[in-house]
Amino acid sequence: MKRILIVDDAATVRLYHRKILESACFAVEEAVNGIEALEKTLRAPFDLYIVDVNMSKLDGYGLLKDLRSRGMPQAPAIMVSAEASAKDRIRAFIAGANLYLLKPVKPAQLLSHACLLLGEIYIGKVRP
Amino acid sequence: MPIIKQQAPQISGEDKRQRPRDFDGLTAALNSGDEVIRRWAVRDLAEFPAAGGALAARLKREPNAAVRNAILTALTRLGDKEAVDGLVECLRSEDVALRNAAMEAMKELPAEVAPIMDTLLSDNDPDVRIFAVSILESLRHPRVEVWLKAVIEHDPHVNVCATAADLLSELASEISRTALERLPLRFPEEPYIAFVTDLALKRLNEDRSR
Repeated sequence: MKRILIVDDAATVRLYHRKILESACFAVEEAVNGIEALEKTLRAPFDLYIVDVNMSKLDGYGLLKDLRSRGMPQAPAIMVSAEASAKDRIRAFIAGANLYLLKPVKPAQLLSHACLLLGEIYIGKVRP
Repeated sequence: MPIIKQQAPQISGEDKRQRPRDFDGLTAALNSGDEVIRRWAVRDLAEFPAAGGALAARLKREPNAAVRNAILTALTRLGDKEAVDGLVECLRSEDVALRNAAMEAMKELPAEVAPIMDTLLSDNDPDVRIFAVSILESLRHPRVEVWLKAVIEHDPHVNVCATAADLLSELASEISRTALERLPLRFPEEPYIAFVTDLALKRLNEDRSR
């Protein structure tokens, strides 16, 4: 079963994303900031990261840069943000994001992109 | 592989006060090339009520994390209009760490931040409005729920409303019930809004049944 880490400081957002991804039988774990995400990664790397931008201690950009510089298996990452400018997107890609989704994410959008990055087949509609 | 957390540079305990310890000498020391001197200057300037402007100006270009934290602490302690204005300016920064640090500092200033909250919540930039809502999360102020309710009733931007509804899911009282019920009607195409308001109303109903 593919393992996904949701990194977001908002509990409600983590719960929403978790419900969507678990509905497609992914194994989901959560972290409230980049530091916790790194700690969990070092214990057991994940197949996909879903990362918010604004978090205390270590923000999403810092987390992705850190993940990409550690020489660990390069799991894909989706950055999820409320910031819509092209500059923000470019910054996310430079940090190491594979995809940039605008909040609030729709269930089918999150699931189809997660499946795409994980090499899984997306089988249709889900509801949180 | 152990995680090596980024540490703020070790600060020498050595007192590097060289310039006169008056206001002009200290503001000049803020521009020293030596971070220890800058940090001592910040620390001493916190005793000067008029230092908010100089500290806020330095904060925007201060590269050293320890000095930056000292400035945020000093601005929080000063808490006057200039200091708060300096913190608000940081909310517009591209630097995520600076923005977050300013938000944390503002959460400690309920009396000073409350008078400008309406202005922050009506800023033209939705990102600033989102940060203002995030400040409300820990702002110990009796009007927090009233501000959040107004946001979900009137703000046109889905993510500002989503952030406010997130907070209301944890602290809403009956005051917010009608506004929460109406929010999904304002954004009928957004499943997240339906999800978060449903969560908030469930918690509200649980509270009522206790």
